[in-house]
Amino acid sequence: MTDRRLRGTVLVLSALGATIAAYLTYTHVADVPVSCVTGGCRAVQTSSYAELGGVPVAALGLVAYVAVGSTALFRSDVALALGSAAALAGFVFAAYLVYVQAAILDAYCQWCLASDAVLLALVPLTLLRLRRA
Amino acid sequence: MSRRALAVVAVAVAVLVGGGLALALAVTSGEAKHETSTGPAAVSEVAAMLRGIPQQGIALGSPRAPVTLVEFADPQCPYCGEWARTAFPEIVRRYVRTGKVRVVFNGMAFVGPDSATALRTALAAGRQGRFWNVLELLFQNQGVENTGWVTEPLLRSIGDAVPGLDTQTMLDERDSPAVDRSISEAQALAYRAGVNATPAFAVGRTGQTLHAVRLESLDASGLEPSLDAALKS
Repeated sequence: MTDRRLRGTVLVLSALGATIAAYLTYTHVADVPVSCVTGGCRAVQTSSYAELGGVPVAALGLVAYVAVGSTALFRSDVALALGSAAALAGFVFAAYLVYVQAAILDAYCQWCLASDAVLLALVPLTLLRLRRA
Repeated sequence: MSRRALAVVAVAVAVLVGGGLALALAVTSGEAKHETSTGPAAVSEVAAMLRGIPQQGIALGSPRAPVTLVEFADPQCPYCGEWARTAFPEIVRRYVRTGKVRVVFNGMAFVGPDSATALRTALAAGRQGRFWNVLELLFQNQGVENTGWVTEPLLRSIGDAVPGLDTQTMLDERDSPAVDRSISEAQALAYRAGVNATPAFAVGRTGQTLHAVRLESLDASGLEPSLDAALKS
């Protein structure tokens, strides 16, 4: 895959992730129900794990996606490293959130899981860019 | 800095930041949920009994279960409590967890004012997919009829003990139109079924006519023959 393609894919995935995160941030802050097929979205979104120090966890995700997406616009080594770091940090945190849904809340939120899948895809892509550059 | 060094630093920073955030969330949320040391009884037993079983409002178990068990009960009635504490865990383990039976609870509130308060709280929790967690904790912590045991502190501590349940939302939604509707639907159903004592049960193939069950005993063996017969029919 060319770097051009990689950057395009990273941008598209970041935009997708940012959209999901923005939707979850909005529903959490506005306290409106999430459209949900798994039945556990509300339990997840209203749990004590949905906020960290008053900041919605979904907003942290939004920040990570914007960070990863913006680094795809640049070609410098530092931008590549920052992109990988943001994606990987997001993924480590997301992995813990999946654990929370499974082991503590016993409820799943499909949008959160979709966001986790996007992060999982972004990690190898950003690392590949860093390695190739 | 070489590219390799940059990559190592990026990975290290990422793991530190991601792990740090996870740790911070674990610490702050852990505190929020476990600040009361003397919570209601049987919290871990109820959580373990229900963990992973789907709930849709007042229904517990797979929507595709071949057999449906309908229960009519009052959160205050002592026999209902005894049945919930002795027979129900066994029924859940053998029939509900295995996807054979789906249980639908129709709440009655004839014993006294505490019945309605308890029932409304459980139904409000049902809007968050946690009806059965709250109902079973109420049965586990049941007091003597009409002594005022259904207190706000008890309901709050039960709510706080249920994973993934927002206690304040539950308490706020007790008088919502949706909860009113559930109560009147259950009453209408009990009237049509001719329920005159609790707990009362009806069993049948899902989607077909259900038949009333006469309980011979308040342990699981009182209901198992009916469930087995329905599963074979």
